Amino acid sequence: MKHLRSPVVIGAIPILLLLAFWAWLATSGLTPRALLPTPLDVATRTQQSLSDPEFLANVGVTLVRLVSGFVIGLLAGTLFAVLAVSSRSIQFVLDAFVRVLAPVPKIALYPVMILVLGFGHSSKIALVAIEAAFPVYLATLQGMRNVDEKLVWAARSAGATPLHCLFFVMVPAAAPSILTGARVAMVISCIVVFLSEMMSSTEGLGYLLIDAARNFRTVDMFVPIILISALGLSLGAGFSFLRAKLLVGYPQA
Amino acid sequence: MKRILSFLTALGVILLIWELAHRAFGLSGLPAPLDALSAMPDLLREPETVIDVLQSLRRMFIGYAIAAIGGITLGLLMGTSRLASQMLNPLIMMIYPIPKAALMPILMIWLGVGDMSKILIIILGASLPIIYHAWQGGKSVKSTVVWSAAAMGMKRPARLFRIVLPAALPEIFIGLRTGLILALITMVVSEIVARSNGIGNLLFNAMDMALYDRMFAAIIIIAAMGCALDWVFEAIRKRFLRWSDTSDHIEVSAG
Repeated sequence: MKHLRSPVVIGAIPILLLLAFWAWLATSGLTPRALLPTPLDVATRTQQSLSDPEFLANVGVTLVRLVSGFVIGLLAGTLFAVLAVSSRSIQFVLDAFVRVLAPVPKIALYPVMILVLGFGHSSKIALVAIEAAFPVYLATLQGMRNVDEKLVWAARSAGATPLHCLFFVMVPAAAPSILTGARVAMVISCIVVFLSEMMSSTEGLGYLLIDAARNFRTVDMFVPIILISALGLSLGAGFSFLRAKLLVGYPQA
Repeated sequence: MKRILSFLTALGVILLIWELAHRAFGLSGLPAPLDALSAMPDLLREPETVIDVLQSLRRMFIGYAIAAIGGITLGLLMGTSRLASQMLNPLIMMIYPIPKAALMPILMIWLGVGDMSKILIIILGASLPIIYHAWQGGKSVKSTVVWSAAAMGMKRPARLFRIVLPAALPEIFIGLRTGLILALITMVVSEIVARSNGIGNLLFNAMDMALYDRMFAAIIIIAAMGCALDWVFEAIRKRFLRWSDTSDHIEVSAG
């Protein structure tokens, strides 16, 4: 009976209970079926949708926005962190900027993005990039600040220029932090791209949710949410895996 | 002093970027900072605006308070009991990447566009980081301290509230801060999705009616709410945690 106490089994209990409760609530007749579909309904619809080319096209649109925004954010965040480390005055300005903007809901800037960049891809990509850049910047800066000074001194005394030091000592030494920041940014990007598509879009997963809500197709509302969550979960796990592969021996942060 | 200087620098940078963007794009949708700022007093004089802001804040604080109390209790339970953490950790990891604000359309159908659905979304959005950090904080409390208390005859609930809670407080405050920002974000998004009143509704209505200076004024109000909440929170944290040597660090999150 020992295997019944394994963490996997114990961890599955609340999830299964939640599903069972949902199934019971949906079938008991306490709630109208039109308002609360059963888990089975949602699962079959998810499966159907995944073989529907039109649905997949929408997933593709979301993925394009997500990945391009994330990559831009990742590059911008790393670049600004490198800039901040290279000069004290730049660091002061950037630090002040980030400090003020970090607690501000960036989603409030979305109307500005729409007005400047239009309703298409670019406004969503810009919003995702902004949201993704913050955690990457903070994590990278933190990582580079914690680099052992002796490494830099050693490289300098071996004849490396400050620029060499920056790119061949500081950035690799900060790689674990960059990847940690990237993982956080990835999950945030998934959420933001979905929300931005909900607010104004004619395609993408977020639009599918709003479209289903407008037409009162309850089952279809669950599918995009499940998919975007699965996407965030698997991409985040992918980053953890990548980090474990690339940085053998570094403790998980 | 340094904080004020840093704040002014940031404001300067933001205004500069804004002004440059205004000149570069030359769009009516991107008015000059001065025009937008001059729309602020008018907007704030309207009683509807004040009511909107207060409505938003009321919902946010109700949701945040429930999330804080529930989240800290659950997190500390997970931190002190192995079974609880093994049971709840997978569930939390599963819920974590769900865009909580995206549940708004579904909750709207069940509970209507009123306060109930919005407060529920805020609770969902704010509670996860609070649970997570309370858990980490509870886990990091030295077991010898807890054992000493137990040896001196302290009962389990008393140990939880008088030993574990204070010891985990620095970590709990990190979660509370992220939770506060998330509460603000989910509050704004919930109002954008289900427009009835509130600051998010004000923002998007201004956009739909092409009242761009009002729209920017609404953005400034939201941004100011974020800064002010963070600032007040930091002050409270400093008072509570004078004994601890944690430095303040910046948290980022999205709803």
